Amino acid sequence: MPIARQTSTTYEHLTSNTHAVCSSRAGVIWRPMVCWRRRASFCDCYKTSHVTKMLMGEVMREAAFSLAEAKFTAGDFSTTVIQNVNKAQVKIRAKKDNVAGVTLPVFEHYHEGTDSYELTGLARGGEQLAKLKRNYAKAVELLVELASLQTSFVTLDEAIKITNRRVNAIEHVIIPRIERTLAYIITELDEREREEFYRLKKIQEKKKILKEKSEKDLEQRRAAGEVMEPANLLAEEKDEDLLFE
Amino acid sequence: MLEGAEFYFNVDHGYLEGLVRGCKASLLTQQDYINLVQCETLEDVKIHLQTTDYGNFLANQTNPLTVSKIDTEMRKKLCREFEYFRNHSLEPLSTFFTYMTCSYMIDNVILLMNGALQKKSVKEILVKCHPLGRFTEMEAVNIAETPSDLFNAVLVETPLAPFFQDCMSENTLDELNIELLRNKLYKSYLEAFYKFCKNHGDVTAEIMCPILEFEADRRAFIITLNSFGTELSKDDRETLYPTCGKLYPEGLRLLAQAEDFDQMRRVADHYGVYKPLFEAVGDGSGGKTLEDVFYEREVQMNVLAFNRQFHYGVFYAYTKLKEQEMRNIVYRSSSFEVPIL
Repeated sequence: MPIARQTSTTYEHLTSNTHAVCSSRAGVIWRPMVCWRRRASFCDCYKTSHVTKMLMGEVMREAAFSLAEAKFTAGDFSTTVIQNVNKAQVKIRAKKDNVAGVTLPVFEHYHEGTDSYELTGLARGGEQLAKLKRNYAKAVELLVELASLQTSFVTLDEAIKITNRRVNAIEHVIIPRIERTLAYIITELDEREREEFYRLKKIQEKKKILKEKSEKDLEQRRAAGEVMEPANLLAEEKDEDLLFE
Repeated sequence: MLEGAEFYFNVDHGYLEGLVRGCKASLLTQQDYINLVQCETLEDVKIHLQTTDYGNFLANQTNPLTVSKIDTEMRKKLCREFEYFRNHSLEPLSTFFTYMTCSYMIDNVILLMNGALQKKSVKEILVKCHPLGRFTEMEAVNIAETPSDLFNAVLVETPLAPFFQDCMSENTLDELNIELLRNKLYKSYLEAFYKFCKNHGDVTAEIMCPILEFEADRRAFIITLNSFGTELSKDDRETLYPTCGKLYPEGLRLLAQAEDFDQMRRVADHYGVYKPLFEAVGDGSGGKTLEDVFYEREVQMNVLAFNRQFHYGVFYAYTKLKEQEMRNIVYRSSSFEVPIL
């Protein structure tokens, strides 16, 4: 019995251990950590992009108005501008940023080269053209920012979806499976313990019966006088080997 | 040439003067502009323009109506009137008309040369050329490989030939020089036009010379203003100033040395005509820019040209006023194309 008790405690200890490990790994603690951080940056992203989009609308309106003004003063300079296009003046670099385990692309603009349209509108409309260039440059910068926000928004969205799916899978598939395995192990162990216990009981019973049987036999033989009591050292008897008393 | 033009003018040019005065009477009035300001869409603009002299000029246009279509149609109308005047004119009025078209021709030639440099097809560029500046050798521009070829083959036939001779020293055509070339051509053109008007004498000189002087000085001021902060050196700048204005020679020399707007203003203060104009300029945003002020003055002078009779200035004034009207309508209509997000 003590042996049986020992094994069952070992088993219980084992099963309780795995159970604790499983529930700690199960998204119960994990889910808030990663998901919450991602959700927080997701919300930030959304708010900033909303604000930027509103600002974008205004900036574009202003830029379009300054285009109309420039056309008014300088005449139609569109063909001149289109014909003189060669290299881009504003370029974009893509960098990677790591937020809560997700790599987000971030766009950064930089200027390269000189303004090839410095002298356009020299004779008329130059001031308006300069204003126009400034407005559209502002619009382009805003657009680049918006592009970064939008891509990070989309990427975070994907990442959150994936994480959610994993968490759901773990929660509804893996954990129940492990729990069922645990339950099975426990039942098996219980059963074996019971089996052991039962076996022991049966053995005891058998032993008891055997003992009773042999005692009965002995009684019968004693009663029949066939049994020779073996020599009892403690009984006072004459010892034949003693020559002198 | 002819003193007492009232005796001889009507023989050759009376019909055309009458015609141009009739056209001038049909320019948009204050009431028309008030109506335009109250329009909500481009369709409203079209309807309003139908009540004016423009009539059904947009009748053949398919939807959607865009500002550029309005612009093209208005320009076509102006061209038709101009060509009519030109075809019915006699010397020396026809030379006068040729001078007027030179400024558009300069723009077209620059456009074509640029296109030839960039190896663009001639047809695309021809569409963008100003119709008043057409000359017969336009399609031949892209055949020439170098600028001197261009000059010898194509431009020597056009009225622009003498203007090119003044600036043929630089043969390289990159973007910086394209603009400089354009401005140099315009400078020689303006000076030639001025000389022509002055030699003609009589009322024409009295009316046209102040207008051309103002144009020359205006260009000088604007070029100076726009060249602050660019790579244009002061000497280069000085070569672009037309010399037929009031500012020549001392004013132009002072302007060439100017570094910012205030120095320019001090130069203008020496001249009684320009001082009040500069004072009317607002500062920064809100308030008028220098260009606005100059536009207003130009329009004023053009309108005053109609107060005298028997001179060619009425044709010049009418064309300029019509162009200003077109600019106004396009500016008003383009606010309907601004995206409201």
